[in-house]
Amino acid sequence: MQTLAQMKNIRKEFPGVTALNGISFDIRAGEVHVLLGENGAGKSTLMKILSGVHKPTSGEIIINGKSFSRLTPQDSYKQGISVIYQELSVINSLSIQENLFIGHLPVKKIGPIKIVDYKTMNQQAKQILQTVGLYRDPKTLVEALSIPEKQQVEIAKALAAQSSIIIMDEPTASLTNAEVDYLLSIVKRLKKSGKGIVYISHKLSEIMAIGDRVSVLKDGGFVGTKKIGEVTQDDLVTMMVGRQIAKNYQHENADFKNAPVIFEVKKLTRKDGKVRNVSFKLRKGEILGFSGLVGAGRSEMMSSVFGAEPKETGEIIIGGKTVNINSPYTAIKNGIAMVTENRRESGFFGNFDIKKNISLLPYIKTSSLGGIGGFLNKSAEEKWSEEQRKSLNIKCYSVNQLVSELSGGNQQKAILGKWLAADSKIIIFDEPTKGIDVGSKSEIYTLMRRLADEGKGVLVVSSELTELLAVCDTVAVFCEGEITEIFSRNEATEEKIILASTRSKKTKGATQNDRNQK
Amino acid sequence: MTEIKNKNKLTFSQVWQRFGTLCIMIILLAVLAILRPAYFFKPETISQILSQSAVNILIALGEFFAILIAGIDLSVGSVVALSGLITAKLMVSGVAPVFAVLLGILIGAVLGLINGILVNATGLHPFIITLGTQAIYRGITLITSNSSAVFGFPVGFTKFMAQRVIYIPVVAIIAFLVAVILSFLTNKTKLGRNIYALGGNRESAWYSGINIKLHTLIVFMISGICAGIAGVVLLGRVGSAEPAAATGFETYAIAAAIIGGTSFFGGKGKVFGVVMGGLIIGVINFGMNLLSVASTMQQVVMGALIIGSVALDRFVSNKK
Repeated sequence: MQTLAQMKNIRKEFPGVTALNGISFDIRAGEVHVLLGENGAGKSTLMKILSGVHKPTSGEIIINGKSFSRLTPQDSYKQGISVIYQELSVINSLSIQENLFIGHLPVKKIGPIKIVDYKTMNQQAKQILQTVGLYRDPKTLVEALSIPEKQQVEIAKALAAQSSIIIMDEPTASLTNAEVDYLLSIVKRLKKSGKGIVYISHKLSEIMAIGDRVSVLKDGGFVGTKKIGEVTQDDLVTMMVGRQIAKNYQHENADFKNAPVIFEVKKLTRKDGKVRNVSFKLRKGEILGFSGLVGAGRSEMMSSVFGAEPKETGEIIIGGKTVNINSPYTAIKNGIAMVTENRRESGFFGNFDIKKNISLLPYIKTSSLGGIGGFLNKSAEEKWSEEQRKSLNIKCYSVNQLVSELSGGNQQKAILGKWLAADSKIIIFDEPTKGIDVGSKSEIYTLMRRLADEGKGVLVVSSELTELLAVCDTVAVFCEGEITEIFSRNEATEEKIILASTRSKKTKGATQNDRNQK
Repeated sequence: MTEIKNKNKLTFSQVWQRFGTLCIMIILLAVLAILRPAYFFKPETISQILSQSAVNILIALGEFFAILIAGIDLSVGSVVALSGLITAKLMVSGVAPVFAVLLGILIGAVLGLINGILVNATGLHPFIITLGTQAIYRGITLITSNSSAVFGFPVGFTKFMAQRVIYIPVVAIIAFLVAVILSFLTNKTKLGRNIYALGGNRESAWYSGINIKLHTLIVFMISGICAGIAGVVLLGRVGSAEPAAATGFETYAIAAAIIGGTSFFGGKGKVFGVVMGGLIIGVINFGMNLLSVASTMQQVVMGALIIGSVALDRFVSNKK
């Protein structure tokens, strides 16, 4: 098979982090090359180097026999590389055909003036759409299409640009099973026509079905390249994980079987189907973690528990009492706190200093009339914020400093501080260490353990398996809106969690058959 | 340890937020004092500026709240006209001025409430909603008044509104009292703090348990009440209720709030600043009259001032 592109010894360093440490990767014509690895392993960075978004620190890229030390997005495009990102980049307000040819619209001349040749465009678009199995009038506006159809437009766009290499970044993340099957059939067709395809996905069954070769990355390092026929799903999981955990934060021999249940969720279901029939219990002193792929429904479940997004049915029980939660306000009144995933967007107030950020919650919790009644108390504000500054070790020159000026770790501590100042009993952490440096991470983990030891309920949603394994006493695994498995700390391994998060209850049978055939 | 390096050092942005409007005011007064010293030192001048600024300051105080939650209220001019007209009609038909005035202010509150309800129900930006209600309220004013002015108020009412307490006009005292109440609201109550939080970060506010819809309603009601009071004050100053009264006043109200240091992006600003902003506009208008600047030219100056102060606000807040 002809090699279309080759990346040799690629290194990429970001300030303070080595994202890629000497990776070699090649793409051959008529082949699906799967790129596998955990979140943060470096898959996207590697592909962004190929598409010209990032400049490699060192290394060589050879495309069509030509050597490059770096690619610009224009180079990449000219060399026939197309990327289909998870977040689709089609332009909704244009028609399908215009989307396909944007940037290189076919033109015709009328005298000295060049105008768009819609007739040619339409004919060519029809042909291309047939190849990708999208049977729509090319003049249809893209906004009228479904998500999988838009994805087909993206693929068609790559074909219209006459790309020889198509990179697909988690293309099935938001598709249903039937849609996935259809997409895979299109990928097979592209392969047959001689395109080189890089396929990034977490879904092992899918990878087994579609891939020819698979390369695994871990923490920016290269683990190995294998032929799909020669590996099992379990082999792949072993290749992906097996990293050493620096430190554990659990207590040795902790046993929660007889500890009282302080928080319970029963049969929580959302109308949008993102969460279905989820039940779990949290015992005193225990940290309960939630694992799963992006979009598996963990954050959505927490949003509903916190009342920020509506639930359809389900019971929330705090300390044995069923509580009615229909808004964050009612959740707060019942002692639930939520440290959200995006600090800047939904965590702190950029216009407030640490003091005002922290005092907002105790004010709300003690207010009357749904949050609007009551007066401010400046000396209490001082007391609340100073207490939290000391207790959480928030590094700042004073509590009058703006939270937006703090480092990520200290921002997170300030946000936690507002919930603790309001004396919250149940604290939900959603990706608590996202974008936080290693040192602050361990501080946050220590704090979480301290809170659990103090008898507060700690729930953690995280996409980092090492984090969950280092901090949690119990890990519940989500797949497609349901909890598929709950592991105690002693049972939990990265392998088991990854398997549980890729096998939904619906398709469990099918994957099992796959494995048996192998 | 990078956080600790700028200990106790005020940034330019903070200095500007605290003293910026005051500086502008002092510069303006100095310019006037130099150009027209004879007029400047008369108490009569101050009295006149205060009385001319009162209506604008009142409207601006309400507008301030709408801008504080990163919204805007374009309907204030129409609310001034409609609540003024209703008050006028009531008084002319024999209702005691006190009740007529209270009802007029109540009308303002209701019109503001309608703005808030529409914003909440549609989820549209307040700009669009109040652009619409501006026309609707103005239309209702024209219909109710039959497009003609209402006048002939009880003498007590007009006399009271024209009164001065040692050179300080009653209308200015009214504006001052409203400012004091609203200043208390913003600085001393949880409601006020919540409004700043909502303006600073809507999403964070929701996750912190702040009832966004309720606060939006309250904010637009405050804006309506202020415009209602301004309507009554205008009635007293002009002596009649014109159906086209207060047309375009929202521009000056927005200008006063912005010049006074209110951030257009929400969450930042002070009542004191808004009062200063209103006074600055009053001084500029007065000064331009004093210097015989043509009224057409005055518009140009005002427009330039609005752009200049918003640009400055953006420049300063980006500077960190």
